[in-house]
Amino acid sequence: MEALSLRDDLGDNSAVAAHNTLQLIAFSIGDQTYGVEITTVREIRAWNGATPLPNTREFVRGVINLRGTIVPIFDLRARFGDGKTSPTKNHVVVVMSVGDKWVGILVDAVSDILTVSRDDIHTVPEGNSIDTELLNGIVTHDSRMVGLIDLHAVVSGARVEV
Amino acid sequence: MSELDDFKATYFDECSELLTELEEQFAAIEAGERDADRLNAVFRAIHSIKGGAGAFGFSALVGFAHAYETLLDYVRDGRIELSDDVVTLCIRANDIVADHVKAVQTGEALPADYGMDEQRRFDLLARGQDGSDDELGGEVLEEFDIDFVPVMVNLGGDSADDEPPLADLAAPDAEDTFDFVPLQAEAGHWEIHFTPHRALYARANDPLLLFRELAVLGDMHVRAIIDDIPALADFEPFAVYCRWEITLVSATVTETMIREVFEFVEGDCDIAVSQLGAGNLRFDVPEPTEPAGKVSAEDRDLANFLELADDEVADVLNFAPEPPPAASTEQDTFEEAPGLSFAELIDTIQPSPPKPVAPPAALRTAPPSGGESEDGERRAVGVQSIRVDLDKVDRVVNMVGELVITQSMLTQQMDEHLRTRYTELVRGLEVLAQTARSLQDSVMAIRAQPVKSVFSRMPRLVRELATKTGKKIRLETIGENTEIDKTVIEQLSDPLTHMIRNSADHGIESPEKRLAAGKTEFGTVRLSAEQAGGNILIVVEDDGAGINRERVLQLARDKGIVAPDVQPTDEQIDQLIFAPGFSTASEVSDISGRGVGMDVVLSNIKKIGGSVHVRSWTGKGTRMTLRLPLTLAVLDVMLVKVGGSPYVVPLSSIVETIQCARASFERVPSGGQVLQVRGEYVQVIDLVQRFDMQTEVEADNRFVVLCEAEGSSKVALVVDDIIGQQQVVIKSLEENFERVEGIAGGTILGDGNVALIVDVQGLKTTIVHKSAA
Repeated sequence: MEALSLRDDLGDNSAVAAHNTLQLIAFSIGDQTYGVEITTVREIRAWNGATPLPNTREFVRGVINLRGTIVPIFDLRARFGDGKTSPTKNHVVVVMSVGDKWVGILVDAVSDILTVSRDDIHTVPEGNSIDTELLNGIVTHDSRMVGLIDLHAVVSGARVEV
Repeated sequence: MSELDDFKATYFDECSELLTELEEQFAAIEAGERDADRLNAVFRAIHSIKGGAGAFGFSALVGFAHAYETLLDYVRDGRIELSDDVVTLCIRANDIVADHVKAVQTGEALPADYGMDEQRRFDLLARGQDGSDDELGGEVLEEFDIDFVPVMVNLGGDSADDEPPLADLAAPDAEDTFDFVPLQAEAGHWEIHFTPHRALYARANDPLLLFRELAVLGDMHVRAIIDDIPALADFEPFAVYCRWEITLVSATVTETMIREVFEFVEGDCDIAVSQLGAGNLRFDVPEPTEPAGKVSAEDRDLANFLELADDEVADVLNFAPEPPPAASTEQDTFEEAPGLSFAELIDTIQPSPPKPVAPPAALRTAPPSGGESEDGERRAVGVQSIRVDLDKVDRVVNMVGELVITQSMLTQQMDEHLRTRYTELVRGLEVLAQTARSLQDSVMAIRAQPVKSVFSRMPRLVRELATKTGKKIRLETIGENTEIDKTVIEQLSDPLTHMIRNSADHGIESPEKRLAAGKTEFGTVRLSAEQAGGNILIVVEDDGAGINRERVLQLARDKGIVAPDVQPTDEQIDQLIFAPGFSTASEVSDISGRGVGMDVVLSNIKKIGGSVHVRSWTGKGTRMTLRLPLTLAVLDVMLVKVGGSPYVVPLSSIVETIQCARASFERVPSGGQVLQVRGEYVQVIDLVQRFDMQTEVEADNRFVVLCEAEGSSKVALVVDDIIGQQQVVIKSLEENFERVEGIAGGTILGDGNVALIVDVQGLKTTIVHKSAA
């Protein structure tokens, strides 16, 4: 369901989509590149601290003030299970809209804007459920793999399970 | 579909306003102000509700409202005396109307015979008071979709039954026309001029269908006027060249019914309905009745003019001996019509009260009439207010909050160096600060509403209570124009109801007891509202027996609310009535005394950041004071630090703060701590542990914030540091995230950082939950 509605997001209101291409914002975590559809990105800002939220999973870094709205920040590295990021001023928060909510994702750096063809999106190889859960697909850019993040999956399950 | 829903929403908004108005009017009527204006206002309100209900097809509501309206009409023209019984019945009827409105709004079904008893009573009243109208009265009550006009032979006002279109419901004066001079016109002979515009056809309407529908109403004769059809060479395929004259003969038809037929093409055609009575009533104006042809162009001008100048003309017709300036400017146009001057028109019309009234008919809005005084004011008031979605206002409130915070951030950046160097900048910032503050005040004022809307429900309540208890109670309300935030007002109704019930049920004595105590037979409950600084004080005061402290204390001891060895002060005893599960009434009455009630008051008021205080004087009465914040958007908080992060605790729940070094903690078997404070043991929650954080602050330097959770049980929160007290704007966490345990929301501090609001109640319940598990 969630993946389905995301696919709808991708298809909607985008002149690019009509040409069967997709524009991505690419960002890096370590030396791996990931991407999200550019129309979901609202803002990119430097890491400037967040107020920690108690009783949440470790990948929830806290909340920030985005012009009067409280926006939660997810640590993508921690979400992938690679441990918490130790953020510096050089780290970047990508603010995106997921459904009707705005969320921020903490990444190491934003690298590029990519244009890829929808036909070039590969399915995520079955195997590890974390991969298939968190990625919508894989594209190749400059002979490197770019994982398409499934935002709904990333932001869900934020609460500590009792 | 969604458009219709919009209309419905508007209608329900208006209904709630109108119902409030009804309450107000009846409160005044009950107090003895039985003048015609009040009745007219009631009549208008009911009529407007009925009108809108008709448009949406809420037939049960229409039926009841109609029967009620008929009763009101009889009362208005004096055929039924406005006795106390009738007033009671009317008040009951208001409830039923309100229930009907609620039922259609929520989509619930009411019993089919709901309100039928009352309807029968209306019927009986109508019959009983006016035997001659027996048959008609009955008919009117049953066949509600025929308007009441046929009965009103002597009062007249055929144009009064003009169902106001929805848009007019907003204008309370839509019904003003019933003040018209009586008409003698005989019912039955109608002439209708129907000139479709191009748009009518463009929207796929077919005049034939309209005529068929008209034909159902009575004998109909249709004549098409096709003189305008040009030569084929000039013929424009989409133009409209045909109009119709229709004569309709029927004894029962009303103008409303005719207009209803054209309801859906309204605006896409010119429609004039006039009634032809006996020969002498024929309107002698060469108006569209004149067969078209050579003067058709002028006719159309005239018709247009009549539409445009409708209001002015109506004014002239009704009151003004000479045309008002507005009308005289139109005079020139008018004179173009052959053989007619404006003055003549007035002469023709004024002496003969029975007006077939083409002018008012040309527009569906009822022309103004009646005295300029009250109705004039009403109209002015109507124009000066607009309906705004509360969401939009909230957005502005939020943004202004941000503006104020940004402004204070800027001010904080100013150091001495900058101050001396950029004096102009500093001055600019100071002006900005002032503007931002006053902007904030103004925006808050938008959300503010007079407490009247809540207060106006209370007279009825008191009346009911008096009837049920056999006591004699008078309600005084003071300061009902005091304004509070809309959300606060919404939360106020229940607590206030409980408090007034309590005063009436427990406070005020029976008349005999009062007389024996040397008081007047009538007990007084005084309800007042006033602004005191940043708070609103709402006081419910009675001159009854006061709180029986001995009994309260005894009961509290019996129920274990007060320990046997504790001797509370008088004031503390008074506050006990707010303790959960406490009720002083020896018998549980229908009205109050189930032991819920006053503690509900307390928790409701606390929920909106207020407090309750009670003071009692034996034999003299009781005073309960509600202290409410002016607005909910701003919360008074204490800013604390927990593990390096800022948290805020609502000030309304804080009892006191204690330095840890001075606090006496004890251990309990579970490993947790309790705090001993003045003989009481209070559960301790260390926020650092609870929120799973680290702290470097030494235990002795930390602080205990003693809070009162719901139901007046206490909890001691341990925090690292207390920073200070301030006002914050509450922000939702759920908007972009989800509920977080122990956190009630967030707020943005002056430095732009987010602080979390501690949910005291939530923390306490989760602890209870854990220990139970």
